[in-house]
Amino acid sequence: MKLGFLTVFWAVAVVLTASPGCSSDTDSGAGTGGGAAGVSGESNLRGGGVGTDGGAASSSGASDLGGEGGADTGIVGVRDRACVEHPTPLRTQGTLVSLPLQPVMAGKPFVFGEENALADGGSVVPLNFRFYISEVELLRGSDEEPIDVDVVTEAGTPEPYGIHLFNAEDADSGTLRVLAPPGQYSGLSFALGIKLSCNQQKPENLGDPLTNISQMTWPHARGFLYLRYEGRNTAADSGGASGASGASSADEIPAAVHMGGNVATERVPHVTVLGPLSIPASGSLERGMSVVMDEIFKGATSNIDVSDFAIGALSAPESVAGERLRRELPQLHVFVLEH
Amino acid sequence: MAEHSVLAVTLLSLGLVAGCSDGAAGAAHDTAPSLIVSTTPAGFPKGTNADRAPSDNALTEARALLGKRLFYDPVLSRTSDVSCSTCHQQQFAFADPRAVSTGVDGRMGTRNAPSIVNGAWGKTFFWDGRAHTLEAQAGQPIENPVEMDLALSDAVARVAADPSYVASFQQAYGEAPSEISLQKALASFVRSLVSGMSPYDRHLRGDDSDFGPERQRGEALFQSEKAECFHCHPSGELSNEGYFNNGTYTAGGDTGRQQVSGRVGDIGKFKVPGLRNIEVSAPYMHDGSLATLDDVIDQYSAGGRGDPTTDPLIKPFTLSSDERADLLAFLRSFTDPALLEDPRFAP
Repeated sequence: MKLGFLTVFWAVAVVLTASPGCSSDTDSGAGTGGGAAGVSGESNLRGGGVGTDGGAASSSGASDLGGEGGADTGIVGVRDRACVEHPTPLRTQGTLVSLPLQPVMAGKPFVFGEENALADGGSVVPLNFRFYISEVELLRGSDEEPIDVDVVTEAGTPEPYGIHLFNAEDADSGTLRVLAPPGQYSGLSFALGIKLSCNQQKPENLGDPLTNISQMTWPHARGFLYLRYEGRNTAADSGGASGASGASSADEIPAAVHMGGNVATERVPHVTVLGPLSIPASGSLERGMSVVMDEIFKGATSNIDVSDFAIGALSAPESVAGERLRRELPQLHVFVLEH
Repeated sequence: MAEHSVLAVTLLSLGLVAGCSDGAAGAAHDTAPSLIVSTTPAGFPKGTNADRAPSDNALTEARALLGKRLFYDPVLSRTSDVSCSTCHQQQFAFADPRAVSTGVDGRMGTRNAPSIVNGAWGKTFFWDGRAHTLEAQAGQPIENPVEMDLALSDAVARVAADPSYVASFQQAYGEAPSEISLQKALASFVRSLVSGMSPYDRHLRGDDSDFGPERQRGEALFQSEKAECFHCHPSGELSNEGYFNNGTYTAGGDTGRQQVSGRVGDIGKFKVPGLRNIEVSAPYMHDGSLATLDDVIDQYSAGGRGDPTTDPLIKPFTLSSDERADLLAFLRSFTDPALLEDPRFAP
């Protein structure tokens, strides 16, 4: 296992908010005819967030550059509230920001399909780990509205449905990319899942990454999973790896976590990841983002009461673990921007 | 049969296939049924089997017919007595009724030949997923020493010696037989094998005339957290195209996907098969070790065979006799008699 992947992280405060009512962007959509987020995004973009001097983000600085920034970034659209396979780009210009997603545990890479040693000599082998990210926003000052950005492919075109599926088994899915206006930002936020309008669709009527092949589908009226994890744990006394410096033991790690929603209400959690993000006006930016498995497992094994959820089919251990994670997200630091 | 009439034909014109996605329609040929029905089984991803063909091997009648001839021709084996159809037999939904297949000189394979029906929608092929296209899959059994044991170059030489084959290749691909066009032709025939008129398909389209209460209860059980079938066999396709260790693997056995990926976590993982026509495609599992669907239910309800590599979602459960009957009835609703008897797919 390669050591030292996690170099130094910004001392970020990661704020995760579980909906309902977690995101002004998401939740304002219905009341504003679906255009509120995009309209505000355009307004915000023109208002700032664009800089060429590399200075720290500030309200005044952003505003000073607002007019130029709006023109430079070629904003042309608003975020579509409907489930559209080929969404209209929010902007035609911008800087390609690549955010390689690296699962980590106890500060080390969490290697898919391999034994990851635990502190007590046990080990965990991740067998399936995937999640959706959508509705990405760039954050500015506390008194400024965030800026909507497109989730894009390596070529810079919007990903289908504006959704990125991270699949630990598929290296090609390992990087989240957005097309963003240059400037200084204080972090980003995104939905750890998919929007309700997509969640309400049947997979056979959709294309990738929302087909059954995604392995993110549920039966019944649950829509899609937002996050799926399965792994094989080996306790220390049954031959697990030894000499590791991991922080967990096998009994602290759930065998499966299935976090999802249903088709009736918006349940997708929104995650905020704070940390300086300087997006240049030319070229591109690559900035690693860790996916902290310790936090996922911590949330999934919390003792938060989910008795109102764990009814019938949803009482399966993996579903309960997923709901606990969803509800605990505001207290967790699952995503961390690498320095 | 009625199913035949419903599985009507779409006449190909100049190699183009009309996009008919409801799975039940098609235009009538004025002379003979086309081999190709441009269709999508219920609940499958968007796009017909023709849509799923790669741009350099568009699905045409000429190509599928050539592939069909090759599929049934033992000349593609070293001993000229084994064909693709030896192990993929139509009456068994193009699967092999033997636990493991027998190749040239009586050589035994190590895996059960799976059904290749609806392969047009496949993401990967073989139990271990080592081929990413039907075209990449098609040549491997020909060259496999325990299957047909013939170099593709030799296979090409054999068909190139037959003027009728040369003419067919010319018609289909505008060229003399080659390794590439031979594999493309075989892939085209496999891509034409569509099963989409089972009672389950009709149920998904809203016709429950052959999907009574027993099957409906079985479906609910299939979709429940009790049986947990849906995790790997989602509604519609009945396969998520993933790789899972379903509890069949035991230490020392075929490690499956691990042989491709090298990952320890992939030990005992095999590709999730679609379940269309599962009733007739026994025996089951990658090694053909389970003879009946009852055996399959027994293994799953026991939580697999006890190997620690078994997927964590494979957990023991208990079914009443009624529940078992319901589940079996549901599984049998996947049978598409039209496919099993369709003369267009026969030699």
